[in-house]
Amino acid sequence: MIYKRSELGKGIGFTSMVDSKFKSCVLAVYFLTESDEKTAALNNLGTGVLAVSNSRYPTYAAMSEKLSELYGASVGSIAKKKGDAQILGLSASWLDDKYAIDGEDISGEMVSIVHDCLFAPNVRDGAYDSESFAMVKKDLLDNINAEFNQKRGYAITRAVQTAYRGEPAAIMEYGSKEAVLSSTAEEAFAAYQELLKTAKIEIYLVSPDEDNKFADMFRESFAEIERAPKEVSIRSHSPLKAEVETVSEEYDINQCKAVLNFKTDSDDRYALKMVSIILGELPFSKLFLNVREKLSLCYYCTSRSISIKGAFFVDCGVERKNIEKAKAEILAQLEEIKKGNISDMEIQGSLMALDNAVSQVGDTPTSYITWYADCFFENDYYTPEEHFNRFRGVTKERMVEAAKSLKLDSIYLMLNKEVQE
Amino acid sequence: MMKKEILTSARTGDSCIHVKHSSGLDIYICEMNGFSGVEALFGTKYGSVNTMFKTAADSDYTVVPEGIAHFLEHKLFENEDCGVFELYAKTGASGNAYTSFDKTCYLFNCSRNYEENLKILLDFVQKPYFTKENVDKEMGIIGQEIKMTNDNPEWRVFFNMLRAMYHAHPVKIDIAGTVESIAKIDADLLYKCYDTFYNLNNMVLSIAGNISADKVLEICDEYLKPCADKGLESVFPPEPDEIVEAETREKQPVGASIFNLGYKCAPRSGIDRLKAVSAASIVSSLLTDPALPMCERLLKDEVINSTFNCEVFYGDGYFTLIFSGEAEKPELIREAVFAEIDRLIAEGINEKDFQRVKKSAYGIMVRELNNVEAVASLMLNAYMENVSPYDSISIMSELTCGDVIDFMRSQLRRDRCVLSVIETED
Repeated sequence: MIYKRSELGKGIGFTSMVDSKFKSCVLAVYFLTESDEKTAALNNLGTGVLAVSNSRYPTYAAMSEKLSELYGASVGSIAKKKGDAQILGLSASWLDDKYAIDGEDISGEMVSIVHDCLFAPNVRDGAYDSESFAMVKKDLLDNINAEFNQKRGYAITRAVQTAYRGEPAAIMEYGSKEAVLSSTAEEAFAAYQELLKTAKIEIYLVSPDEDNKFADMFRESFAEIERAPKEVSIRSHSPLKAEVETVSEEYDINQCKAVLNFKTDSDDRYALKMVSIILGELPFSKLFLNVREKLSLCYYCTSRSISIKGAFFVDCGVERKNIEKAKAEILAQLEEIKKGNISDMEIQGSLMALDNAVSQVGDTPTSYITWYADCFFENDYYTPEEHFNRFRGVTKERMVEAAKSLKLDSIYLMLNKEVQE
Repeated sequence: MMKKEILTSARTGDSCIHVKHSSGLDIYICEMNGFSGVEALFGTKYGSVNTMFKTAADSDYTVVPEGIAHFLEHKLFENEDCGVFELYAKTGASGNAYTSFDKTCYLFNCSRNYEENLKILLDFVQKPYFTKENVDKEMGIIGQEIKMTNDNPEWRVFFNMLRAMYHAHPVKIDIAGTVESIAKIDADLLYKCYDTFYNLNNMVLSIAGNISADKVLEICDEYLKPCADKGLESVFPPEPDEIVEAETREKQPVGASIFNLGYKCAPRSGIDRLKAVSAASIVSSLLTDPALPMCERLLKDEVINSTFNCEVFYGDGYFTLIFSGEAEKPELIREAVFAEIDRLIAEGINEKDFQRVKKSAYGIMVRELNNVEAVASLMLNAYMENVSPYDSISIMSELTCGDVIDFMRSQLRRDRCVLSVIETED
């Protein structure tokens, strides 16, 4: 793979990754900005509209028709959060020209489509086209309503909101339903204009052959924008609550969900990740072997470390009558790590699993982008090999210290309505 | 002696190796230069629908409890000496398994030690170890899995639709069974199912990525235990062409109402089925295409949103085309779909639109060949469907408007259509 990163303007990076084994190209344009309740919904809608129409393909129908003609090419919007930041943007993927049956210039067409989505959206009198905006707004509101359809995901969202209450990290990637409802096409376009000026922008292109068209086009168009990028801090340790807070909600469901949140003041992200793997990320982890296999309490019981927030979550699906038992076992297994009861097999197995994962960065175009975008977001550039070596350097003592730093902060319980025994 | 052939896509130039191994196993191998990962799938034609079966040696059919194929999959991960995950932990592979309606697959994904991982995979799948204790222990775990899926509205709306569509075919039963049905499973029954379906003549190994075909075959020679073909016969109760009921609704604690709108079509097999799948896929693309008037209007009227989708779902004895998504008034979607199918049959399909959606389907198929996991799945599914891995690309390129109209006229009948809805509680 040939990796090249260049600066296209103030706070605008462009990374090209050329890998001849691929049959397709993928492009991602990220806007990194701080999570703010006042702007989150408008930022989301403002970039969401970019993917459904532009001035040349002014309706979703026209855009869809063109993309389908280009062998099922796709253009989509990005909206997520990471730590205290909101990440927005546009992604696109398309078949490499070599596979076009009638010799079409798919890449050339995609350059101009993506260009127009970003720099010539369908706007009239300072507002997005009302039809495109209405469609994106309805879609987002429907997505918000549908969050509760996925019970595990919903429970984790509620646990995150409880854990980070009052911090930017608690703000959803869409802000709030109320903010979305009150947004207008004019405000959304203004929010996008502001992102073009102030967000940190990072662009990635993965293709089988070198293609300078995108970099040239972006450089030219961004040159016309007066950039004043703002620094974004995504990393801040979430403060530990004075007392463990438990939030319980009852629903008419079959299986209860329990999410435990721990906080840490440790900055040792590699040791914390090792603790998480050993505790509950893999089928030989302590939670799998004990909560699931030994006690048969759960189908899933897993952990994850969110080091940029100094947070650590464990979540499981469990019978209401077994919640306390499951919680006690989760805490007991964490205690084992704190006592240093970590076997060589657990350490080696975790390292092997990490090696397996990082070695496959580059097997799909998206995996390259995800890897380097994460480096950018966290402002810490390293290769997959260097990343793995940092894990290899984690001693058992560091793992024990990291585990000891974890303090229970809050618990979210999604309960069913059966009477507790 | 084993038979070896190279299968090639005339369109993309991609190729893979197919071997009929002397043990009885079909093996598909795709060496993918430049990729780091390896994906291996060891699968059997045994899923939740195989509830009634016999071998040539049996005088009567055996009927087994619902969910037993999935239960067996869970239990195969335990060896007599240790768990399989412990073995994979030593090599770094990510091991997993899944059971669907018509197959059970055991898989690993790795970037190193694929030879060792392949040995683990071939060994444990051929070495069952079921005891009363380890069967009893699994009840609680699978019970929780069943409860979890019962809270999944997409799962419920889909099975409600299947129950309204199929009178007798076991496709309507939940893959994991019920808490009551799995309580009837014991070690003896598991061995009976294992001995019947985990016969190499009924199985496939599909492996793709950073591998050497010669090395894979060398390991297969060493690890595969030859099996006699037992003359397995899996039977399904007679299934009428008609549906059970046209509409089913259930209230659930959901944030957004969802629906499945499915057409009961005639089941097929082999190349015939692949042709029908290609035709159905084009119908699916046309009817969910935002560039075409029906979808454009439904979007504008806010009847559908971007979740509106359509897929072809098929297997032994069942074949359906299912529209799905979030919608407050799914009956309006049913009306629109009925009318659009009638219009297309009466007026024909615009040739330009037809070529466009075909090109789109081709582009998506070729892009799948970019991916180690997708290639391994493609080869496995080809075996399960008794076709060649690249047949779908060539059949799609030969498909005509007439084929698609024929499919719509013969298969998409209003009286064979089921609407299933999960509604928000008041």
